[in-house]
Amino acid sequence: MKRLGALMALCAVGLGCGDDSNSSSTRQQVEISYAAVVGDQPFVCGNRYDNLGANDTSLVLSDFRFYVQNVDMKNAAGAWIPVELDENEFQTTGVALLDFEDCASMGNEDLNGLVTGSLPAGEYDGLRFTMGVPFEMNHVNHSTAPSPLNLTSLFWNWQGGYKFLRIDSGQFSETDWRMHLGSTGCVGDAMAGGVTECANGNRVTVEFASFDPSVNTVVADYEALVEGAALDQNEAADAGCMAKPADTDCGPLFANLGLPFGGTPAGTQQFFSAE
Amino acid sequence: MKHLPHTLILLPLLFGAGCGDSDTASGAWVWNLPDTVPPPRVPEDNPMSEAKVELGRFLFYDTKLSANQTQSCGSCHRQELAFTDGLAQAEGSTGEIHPRSSMSVANSGYAASLTWANPAVVRLEEQALVPMFGEDPVELGMANMEDELLRRIREDERYPDMFAEAFPKEADPISLDSITKSIASFQRALTSFNSKHDRGSSALTLSEQRGKALFFGGTNEAGVPDALECFHCHGGFLLSQAVDHDGSEFNQQTFINNGLYKLDSDGSYPDGNQGLFDITNDPADKGKFKPPSLRNIAVTAPYMHDGSIATLEEVVDHYARGGREIESGPNAGDGFDNPNKSSFLNGFEITEQEKQDLIAFLRTLTDEDLLTNPALSDPFAQ
Repeated sequence: MKRLGALMALCAVGLGCGDDSNSSSTRQQVEISYAAVVGDQPFVCGNRYDNLGANDTSLVLSDFRFYVQNVDMKNAAGAWIPVELDENEFQTTGVALLDFEDCASMGNEDLNGLVTGSLPAGEYDGLRFTMGVPFEMNHVNHSTAPSPLNLTSLFWNWQGGYKFLRIDSGQFSETDWRMHLGSTGCVGDAMAGGVTECANGNRVTVEFASFDPSVNTVVADYEALVEGAALDQNEAADAGCMAKPADTDCGPLFANLGLPFGGTPAGTQQFFSAE
Repeated sequence: MKHLPHTLILLPLLFGAGCGDSDTASGAWVWNLPDTVPPPRVPEDNPMSEAKVELGRFLFYDTKLSANQTQSCGSCHRQELAFTDGLAQAEGSTGEIHPRSSMSVANSGYAASLTWANPAVVRLEEQALVPMFGEDPVELGMANMEDELLRRIREDERYPDMFAEAFPKEADPISLDSITKSIASFQRALTSFNSKHDRGSSALTLSEQRGKALFFGGTNEAGVPDALECFHCHGGFLLSQAVDHDGSEFNQQTFINNGLYKLDSDGSYPDGNQGLFDITNDPADKGKFKPPSLRNIAVTAPYMHDGSIATLEEVVDHYARGGREIESGPNAGDGFDNPNKSSFLNGFEITEQEKQDLIAFLRTLTDEDLLTNPALSDPFAQ
């Protein structure tokens, strides 16, 4: 095992393990910046934001985190090329956690607004990614998962998965309005030892035909996410939108994420934009 | 004598002694089960051992597993109540009231799906994460406190040695993974098949035998064969059709509507507590819940997913009527007419004597050994 580990370490730093396209000489690093905002203001953990949703509600926001995967960039020929993400405490096996909270009772002080990785040397002018954790990583043993997939506040165990997106207001009181998004409608069986499929993946794919990582930033806007949502009331049992199919508070948020909900077909997402 | 050495060498190999294929160094696990009951399914990555089960027992009863150190798993799953809590709806460590009633975790190693109505949760190791880290509702309230949890365990004077013994191959045996694996192993060891019912009909009184016959399809005094239809959902060695074990080849998850509510023409149950529907969003799944095992049912009152029926007598009345009518208030409606109700719930005639007989039989399902066995008890109890 030790020898294999050493060999893999050599491969990881590109010392001639047979795949030239992966060697450092023909690859380039890329950094993609993400930002969290609320309308025209930056998201600051613990700040109050006014005039949100259908009823101009004021909310103190205290959490803002999401996972992304399938990060691709468009080359000069128009082909989408996968970005091979670096391995670090915010990134593992192609999944990255963007973390804009540093005050949440369910969070920590560490922040991350970057996705970093490499792709073949060349010119790129577009970006696409998916918010969420891939199915095959979403439903395995969470207790042994590496960081950032080992944060218990992002476990979504009632569906055997992770919260892909978590934005909270309040600190567990009656007036909380929380948005937790993950896969729903999941079924499993004891023979398989876990979840076998989910009716609603709830992963959001975002594509920017024009995106220059040296200039542009991916912006996630809470104001755009909750547009049309009545944040001063809870129709269903949960405090806010827990992504349950019957949680009617979720309707406007799913529409703004470009996800189908109930009988409403998928629309165009407006949560993410490139600036 | 000349050939004896060969035999002596071969026998230990054949019986697996010391061949190194076990995860654990000490305490090979032996299932203590009647020959009518198969062993539960044990995941390949979490073999049973005495050391792990014993560690799991300590963790199950340890309040270090709740954020404010007021509750353990055992707070809502008390041994003397067959690992339930006697409440209609469970109360978490922060006082939040759970929409559901605590289920017995006896025989939970045999569940085709865990909890009341969730087809996604099928592995005890994963299920343990729900009460520990769930936020909606808060149970043990440990979300975001995984580092604190591990610190508490590492600083305990007892646990480092227990983890090392239970996970001898792990360089750093104290981890979230080993915690959930130990608790799951303890739960698999909570087998309960030592009731009067398990000793056969000859052990039962005449009243209990009559009740057993009614339960398993006998003709009632009104002359109707299989009038009560209990065993269709509560049959087999578990007294639940929703069973899984090490020989199961098919998914036997079962969810049925038993006519407790009918808030509207869709057959709605109270919001946020609609059973399988809360997972699937299919209106035909409104009010569908797992038929739980009836083992130890006499000590696990109150009954149903929301604890809304207080006594066994009232449970029998509910099934005899074929659904519950609520005349007024927010939950008004007649569950008899719930469109999703199981076809087995048509109601039946039952005499007072038959009712007593049936309840007498249900009381034979109590396993006193489960309720009192020191090996399953709270090691922190004064």
